[in-house]
Amino acid sequence: MTAVAVPATRARARVVRPVLVRLGTSVLVLWGAVTVAFAGLHLTPGNVVDLLIGANTVTPEVRARIVADYGLDRPLLVQYVTYLGRVLHGDLGQSYQLHQPVASAIGEQIGSSVQLMLASFALAVVVAVTVAVLTAGRRWARAVFSGVELVGISIPSFWAGILLLTVFSFGLGLFPATGGEGVESLVLPSVAMAIPVIATLSQVLREGLELTLEEPFVLTARSRGMSDLGVRLRHALRHALLPTVTLAGWMVSYLFGGAVITESVFSRQGIGRLTLTAVTNKDLPVVMGVVLIASLLYVVINILLDLLYLAIDPRLRGA
Amino acid sequence: MTTSTIVSPGVVIGRRRRRVPRAGVWAAAAFLLVVAVIAIAPGLVAHGSPDLTDALAALRPPDGEHLLGTDANGRDIFTRIVYGARPSVLAGLAATALAVTGGTLAGLLAALGGRVPDEVVMRVVDVLLSLPGLLLALLVIAVAGPGTLNAVFAIAAYTLPGYARLVRAQTMVIRRSGYVEAAVSLGLTKARIIARHVLPNAFAPLLVLATIEVGTALVAASSLSFLGLGPRPPAPEWGAMLSAGRDYFSVAWWVAVFPGLAITLTVLSVTVVGRHLQRRVEGRLS
Amino acid sequence: MSTSIRLPAAVFVSLSLALTACGTGDGGAAAAKAPGGPVKGGTLTFGVNTEPSTCLDPHQSPADVAGLFTRPVLDSLVSLDTEGRIRPWLATSWTVSEDQKTYTLQLREGVKFSDGTPFDAAAVKANLDHIVDPATRSQLAAGYIEPYEGSEVVGPHTVKVSFSRPYSPFLSALATAYFGIESPRSLEQPQDALCKKVVGSGPFVIDEYVVQKGITYHRNPGYDWAAEGAGHTGAAYLDKLEIKVITEDSVRLGALTSGQVDAIAGVPPVNVRQVRADPRLTITTRQAPGGNYNYYPNTTSGPFADKRVRQAFRDGIDFATIVQNLYFGAFQPAAGPISPATDGYDKTLEGKAKYDPATANRLLDEAGWSARDAEGYRTRDGRRLTIRWGFLKAFAREQRDTLAEQIQAEAKKIGFDVEFVAGTVNEWLEKYPKGDYDLMDFSWQRADGDTLRNLFDSSSIPTDAKFGQNAARLADKDVDGWLSDALDTTDQAERAELYAKVQQRVTDEAAVFPVYVFNYLLGAGEKVHGIGWEPQAYPTFYDAWVEQA
Repeated sequence: MTAVAVPATRARARVVRPVLVRLGTSVLVLWGAVTVAFAGLHLTPGNVVDLLIGANTVTPEVRARIVADYGLDRPLLVQYVTYLGRVLHGDLGQSYQLHQPVASAIGEQIGSSVQLMLASFALAVVVAVTVAVLTAGRRWARAVFSGVELVGISIPSFWAGILLLTVFSFGLGLFPATGGEGVESLVLPSVAMAIPVIATLSQVLREGLELTLEEPFVLTARSRGMSDLGVRLRHALRHALLPTVTLAGWMVSYLFGGAVITESVFSRQGIGRLTLTAVTNKDLPVVMGVVLIASLLYVVINILLDLLYLAIDPRLRGA
Repeated sequence: MTTSTIVSPGVVIGRRRRRVPRAGVWAAAAFLLVVAVIAIAPGLVAHGSPDLTDALAALRPPDGEHLLGTDANGRDIFTRIVYGARPSVLAGLAATALAVTGGTLAGLLAALGGRVPDEVVMRVVDVLLSLPGLLLALLVIAVAGPGTLNAVFAIAAYTLPGYARLVRAQTMVIRRSGYVEAAVSLGLTKARIIARHVLPNAFAPLLVLATIEVGTALVAASSLSFLGLGPRPPAPEWGAMLSAGRDYFSVAWWVAVFPGLAITLTVLSVTVVGRHLQRRVEGRLS
Repeated sequence: MSTSIRLPAAVFVSLSLALTACGTGDGGAAAAKAPGGPVKGGTLTFGVNTEPSTCLDPHQSPADVAGLFTRPVLDSLVSLDTEGRIRPWLATSWTVSEDQKTYTLQLREGVKFSDGTPFDAAAVKANLDHIVDPATRSQLAAGYIEPYEGSEVVGPHTVKVSFSRPYSPFLSALATAYFGIESPRSLEQPQDALCKKVVGSGPFVIDEYVVQKGITYHRNPGYDWAAEGAGHTGAAYLDKLEIKVITEDSVRLGALTSGQVDAIAGVPPVNVRQVRADPRLTITTRQAPGGNYNYYPNTTSGPFADKRVRQAFRDGIDFATIVQNLYFGAFQPAAGPISPATDGYDKTLEGKAKYDPATANRLLDEAGWSARDAEGYRTRDGRRLTIRWGFLKAFAREQRDTLAEQIQAEAKKIGFDVEFVAGTVNEWLEKYPKGDYDLMDFSWQRADGDTLRNLFDSSSIPTDAKFGQNAARLADKDVDGWLSDALDTTDQAERAELYAKVQQRVTDEAAVFPVYVFNYLLGAGEKVHGIGWEPQAYPTFYDAWVEQA
């Protein structure tokens, strides 16, 4: 295959600039998330101290400490800066309902959620790539799978989860319904969560594949006697993968939200259920903490994907 | 190199549009019509009250008397699904309407308000888009408390950025196309230009996006109800029905299947019709 | 008691597990089928529906599930057997002074906490003082020994506990896990640390408690001070014990049927028949003592201030039939305020309640709620007969939300408009102490008949200053008098007579709408044996063992 030759300096500029832009945006996003969380706290009617404490009681000393920690006796701007500073130091505050720091509450739960998200992400990529490669440009297969994908996009994940549980766990007894250990216990929840991702991803991939398959270089490859599958896998797929990177943001968002639902359907521990409980109990420090962690994750993943993008797109690599 | 812009799972704006068979579009439209009818006048289709309980008729499987069976309270599931159409669909529609309105205003402000408003609006949109939608909704509910109205606001908050981006982009295109300059040179006021030229041109793509996004909003609303953050019982909302029935699935499949089917078919129909519209509109534009 | 608002004790206790057994045989789950004797080793995994997520420490937490989670680690001074007799445990003997205000306890020697601290009189004093210390913010235990004046270390293994008034329920309170003896060294930590880990002298030691996941323990190898009457002596059989939190009923059941866990709490009533039919599984049930799952009308304001309206609600809804059908017979309809498994239960109330919609309608007409509006609800002077129910859906277990919806629909038939008002715990907390509600619901598990004092004594009326369980806000001088007399006497017959009077009075006053008697439904696999029952009705694992493959 032929990489477009680019002088080394220009290539470096092409690499460095988007990374800088991304970093800038990332900082902005994080700052925005902190601001949203702060605004959420202060827009809520009621005394801020009471909101932070939630459905609980604390001693006057703790109350005084909260006022001092958040600078609640000072002007709003100072409070904002104080809060920003604390977050910068990695201090997400204290959950007065769980009797522990928010960071440690999230820390206890996030591992399980990340496992689930990674599992369903991996599943989604494998299935979507397979489906797209096998169906692109093939009339009947494509028609059938388009229909399936439409259903996959439309089905709410909690219902998918319930159906999977009913059929495969309670009915056939093939997979365990819950449990933190073992790969088997990840199967059903990650499938439930992956369904809409698979459906979306395979559509985009197939569209990309079909466009690429019409490109001249594909014809060249074919004329050299390369097999159809070979062309699809070695040439077309690489090009088709590029547009899916734009899906990344949506996927991170989706998987995070999906965790809230999936974890509660399957009684799994995790950050999603932690959030849900916090919302029901009005444990605002935890909700704010999760919002911050989510945006951090979003930013990190986007940076990683940018790097991946460089790896996939030959034109962005140096000569 | 990117050929597709993904706003949400339902909305892939790309160069190629695959067609849904005509029969499928008709079927989807017909289904939506049915949903609309039962949402407006549930009494036409279902007889009896959706809240009528009967302890002695709990968890009856579907039969002649109870078309879709009964739930744990002995309530007729068919009647509840019919009466549930209104609360289930209305939340999604209201959230979409709110988001379209808010998004349009924000988009216009960004496109026409000058550099500073543009930067501010678009950065806010970036931030909102970077937060997981459901999480944003949960934050809204944590702050405002659960309930239908708050759920509507919560969903609007997380679908709004998409519309803002779209309206801004469309407006920019129109602005550069020359006829706004022409209108300005003719001495028209800004408001008039927006009303006469910008909005009508942005309308078609906005409608398409909104149609498809209604599906997303419906799923979001039913998810919130499922999580217990939607309308209060005994409202027969579909997501809430699934949530209330989840203890009984192991012995009564019909409690689990039918409300979920109602949601899925509605969302599916919205998506199919939305994509059809999208194809038509884009075909006309290009 | 401290003068601040406490955590919604009633809420958490309504999620609670049971106290005291009703005596359905001595064995644990599947004990009958045990092939050969108990074997040492292995892990037992137990799935539960709720957890003490806010705090593990039973001195602080009001949740009975805190007792379940900490009982493997904590021993008590005394235990309560299935006949309701007090038996020695960490205290070998005790004497009660003539005026019944002072208890002198002789303690067992040679007991060590798992952190190496020796158990002695000072440790007992440290524990009791810790419970009543306002800084502990005890939401239940402190209330159980309200007249506590102090403890005195008389000798290294002799401790004297004094009360400001005669206090007969002291020993039975001591037997609960809320009075589990923790290591005094561990008690020196901040309260928050105790919420995640408690250290005691029990047969197991906590490894780690992770909220939403569960708690793990390992055997305390040096354990040699089991309660009198336990199934064996010495260390526990199990190497490890795991309690997993599985909140979804269907998922928890699925975990049991697929063998992922060895036993579960709270077999869903709808699945009881299915589990019974499965030869690989067994179900053991225990009736919980204390206040049944009841609805409490606000007798001081709103429509329910009128006794006739209360009677109409209670008698105009067929609670018994609804309970029988909704729970498939797994829970019995309640006849009175407290369960048959409670000391002092008045059997004569059984069969007295009757479903009588005609009388209910007549009573409502008499009370002035005779007109009906367009939706069929009763009205008086143009105002609808609305009942604002502080129902907390987020904490509803055992399909209580389904039940509530059923009651709502049935109440509509006689003209009540029942509205669920409390959305979040915060709103609930806001309204409950102020009496800003018409109806509340909870169960209140406690083995002692003194539970009636928690539920109906005027001093238990919840206020901003004090969190009480008298949700009916009943202030009846006779009731207060009988309850106080019962504290002064240790004569069982006399106490039973006084408690019977209370039960009859609150029934006559319709100050409580009895709903169902909670049964602990424990499902277990065939390899599990010897799960015992805490004298106060949740499972214990000291004698438990699993067949090794």
